Amino acid sequence: MKQLKAKVLSNDELLSYPGATYFLMRVHAPEIAAVSKPGQFCMLNCGPDVPLRRPLSIHRVHPRGDVFFLYSVRNPDAPDTSRITIKENGLISTSGKGTTWLSKVAPGSQLNIIGPLGNGFSIDNKSDNLLLAAGGIGIAPLMFLAERAVSLGSGVTLIAGARCKEGLYPDSLLPPGINIIRVVESVENNTRYIRGKVTDVIPLHLAGVKQIFACGPQAMLEAISNHVGNKAVTKPVQASLEVRMGCGLGTCYGCSIKTRQGMQRVCKDGPVFNIKDIIWQEVRI
Amino acid sequence: MSQSSLRVQVAPGLSLANPVIAASGTWGYGDETADLVDFRRLGAIICKGTTLKPRAGNPQPRIIEVTGGILNSVGLENIGVEALISEKAPAWATWRVPVIVNIAGDTVDEYGRLASKLDGVAGISGIEVNISCPNVKKGGMQFGTDPVCAAEVTSAVRKSTSLPVIVKLSPNVTDIAAIARAVELAGADAVSLINTLGGMSIDVKRRRPGLGNITGGLSGPAIKPIALSMVWKVAGCVKIPVIGCGGIMNAEDALEFIMAGATAVEVGTANLVNPQTALDIINGLRQFIRAEGIGNITDLRGAARL
Ligand SMILES: Cc1cc2nc3c(=O)[nH]c(=O)nc-3n(C[C@H](O)[C@H](O)[C@H](O)COP(=O)(O)OP(=O)(O)OC[C@H]3O[C@@H](n4cnc5c(N)ncnc54)[C@H](O)[C@@H]3O)c2cc1C
Ligand SMILES: Cc1cc2nc3c(=O)[nH]c(=O)nc-3n(C[C@H](O)[C@H](O)[C@H](O)COP(=O)(O)O)c2cc1C
Ligand code: FES
Repeated sequence: MKQLKAKVLSNDELLSYPGATYFLMRVHAPEIAAVSKPGQFCMLNCGPDVPLRRPLSIHRVHPRGDVFFLYSVRNPDAPDTSRITIKENGLISTSGKGTTWLSKVAPGSQLNIIGPLGNGFSIDNKSDNLLLAAGGIGIAPLMFLAERAVSLGSGVTLIAGARCKEGLYPDSLLPPGINIIRVVESVENNTRYIRGKVTDVIPLHLAGVKQIFACGPQAMLEAISNHVGNKAVTKPVQASLEVRMGCGLGTCYGCSIKTRQGMQRVCKDGPVFNIKDIIWQEVRI
Repeated sequence: MSQSSLRVQVAPGLSLANPVIAASGTWGYGDETADLVDFRRLGAIICKGTTLKPRAGNPQPRIIEVTGGILNSVGLENIGVEALISEKAPAWATWRVPVIVNIAGDTVDEYGRLASKLDGVAGISGIEVNISCPNVKKGGMQFGTDPVCAAEVTSAVRKSTSLPVIVKLSPNVTDIAAIARAVELAGADAVSLINTLGGMSIDVKRRRPGLGNITGGLSGPAIKPIALSMVWKVAGCVKIPVIGCGGIMNAEDALEFIMAGATAVEVGTANLVNPQTALDIINGLRQFIRAEGIGNITDLRGAARL
C-alpha cells in the first residue's frame, strides 16, 4: 500500500449510453503499478467537496509504471431505473459527485491516490482455462485479470454483458488472445451479440473451465451465486463486491459484512470473495 | 528546536510527545496503515471501541457521506477484550507511541470488568471510556446522557484500574458541563469530547434510510463549531485536562481547540480522508509555535479565554 500524488496522463470518455458514460483514466504511479494484482483497487481523492475517497478497481497496468482506471459516471439526465420513479423536475440529484469531479480532471493534474488495496483475485496454478463474467462496469478489474491470465498461458473466455451495445467495452482495447462473448439485453441475436444476460450464457461456456471470476451488479452476482453447486455452475467462483467504504485501508470497519467465514472487511479481506461465502442480504450499497 | 515543545500531559502518568491523538474507530488497532504513515510519531493512538465479547456491529450500509462530513453506524464491531489483550497489546508494548483502549459496555458492571482486565497489561497506556452506549439495564438510555449514570460508570472503571482514565463525552445531551463535572468528581483523570452527534439520511429514490441501522453518528468538519463550543464550556468548569475532538482537519482546527482550553486533540474522520492528516497537524503545530516564538504548546492552552 502506497500513497502518492499521481500525474494524470489522460482521462477520456470511452463510451456513452443512455444511463452512463465510461471514462478511461491513465495515471503515472510506478510504485503502485509495480506491485498491483488483478482485483485490487485504489482509493482516489475526488476533490475538495467530497470528504471520502472513492474506490476504483485497477483496470490495467502498463509496464512503464502507469495505472488505468475505468469508471462509470451516471448521466444526470438518465431515465431513472430504480424501482420507484420520481420526476427529476425540481429535484437536484447530488449523487455521482465524486466520479463527476474525476471525469473533469485534466491531464497534467496530480491526483492523490492510495493503493493497491485489498486481496485481489487468485488464479490457481493448474487453471488453464478461466471464465470471466463481467456485467457493465464490472469489466474494470476483469481486464487486468484477463491480461495477467493470458500472460501466464491460461485460456480466457470473457463474457461481457451490457444493457445496450453502446455500453460494450471496445474490441480494440481487448487483450489479444482472449475469447469474447458479447451479451446485450436489448439487441437482436446475431453473430456478434447474444441477446440476454450474462448469467444466461455462463452455463454454455463451462466446458474445461477451472475457475470463474465475476464482477458486476449485485443482482448478477446473486444470480450466479444461486446457480453455484448445481448443474449450471459447477466451478468455484470468485466475485468482486462493492459496498460503501470509509477508509479503504482496514481501519474504520465501515465496509464490514457478515459472511459464512465471519465478519470480513470488503476493503481488506476482499473485495474478492469466494461467492459461496457471501450472504447477499448483508451486502447493500 | 527540541520536540519537547509539543509535549503535553493528558493525565497523571500519561505524557504525550505531542498533543495529536488518533481518535477511536478511525485508526483500527494501530498499525493497519504502517505502510503509509509513521504512526509512531503520533501523540497517542486510541484503538477501536472494545467490548467484553467480540461484536459483529450493524448491517450495511455503515458509512454515508453527507455535506460536510460522514454518518457512521459501524456499531462497535470489535474483536473483544480477550483477543485485544492476547493479539494486539504485545505489539503495542514495543511501540514508543502510547496506545489507549476505548471501552464500551452495556452495564456498569461490564465497564468495571473491562477496566480490570486491561489493568496491568503491558502495552496499554490508558483507558478511554465511551459512555455513549445504551444502558440495557436502564432501558437503553445512554450512560452519557445522565450525570448520575456517567458517574457510576466512571467510578466503576476508576476502582478497577490504576491506568489513566479518560471519559469520552457524548454531545447528545442537554448540559455537557454537568456530565463533565460528574465524571470529574467520580475520578476521571481527563475528559475527551465530543463523540459523534446523532444523525441520519434518507435515500429518496429508495425511500429508505441511508444507513442500515437507520440512525448513526455525524462526524467531520460539520460538527467542529459544536465540538469547539462544548470544549470551551467544559474547559471552563473542570480542572482535569480536556481533550478536544470533532471535525479537526488541519493544524488551525487543532489550535482552535487548544486555545479553547484543550490540552490535546483527537483526529477522527480526517484520518479516513487522508491518513497523513494527523502527522501534518503535528508538523503544523510545530511550525506555528516556532513562528509565534512560543516555547511550549501548553502555553497556548486556553489562550482564547483570556
Ligand atoms: C472495491 C471497489 C472497486 C470499484 N471499482 C470501480 C471501478 O473500477 N469503476 C467504477 O466505475 N466503479 C467502481 N466502484 C464503484 C465506485 O466506487 C462508485 O461508483 C463511486 O464510489 C461512486 O462515487 P460517486 O461520488 O460518483 O457517487 P455518490 O453516489 O455521490 O457517492 C456517495 C458515496 O457512496 C459511495 N458509493 C456510491 N456508489 C457506490 C458503489 N457502487 N460502490 C461503493 N461505494 C459507492 C461513494 O464512494 C461515496 O462515499 C468500485 C467500488 C468498490 C467498492
Ligand atoms: C467510523 C467511525 C468509527 C468510530 N468508532 C468509535 C468508537 O468505536 N468509539 C468511540 O468512542 N468513538 C468512535 N468514533 C467517534 C470518533 O472517535 C470521534 O469522536 C468523532 O468521530 C468526532 O471526531 P471527528 O469529527 O474528528 O471524526 C467513531 C467515528 C467514526 C467516524
Ligand atoms: S473501509 Fe474502512 S475498514 Fe474497510
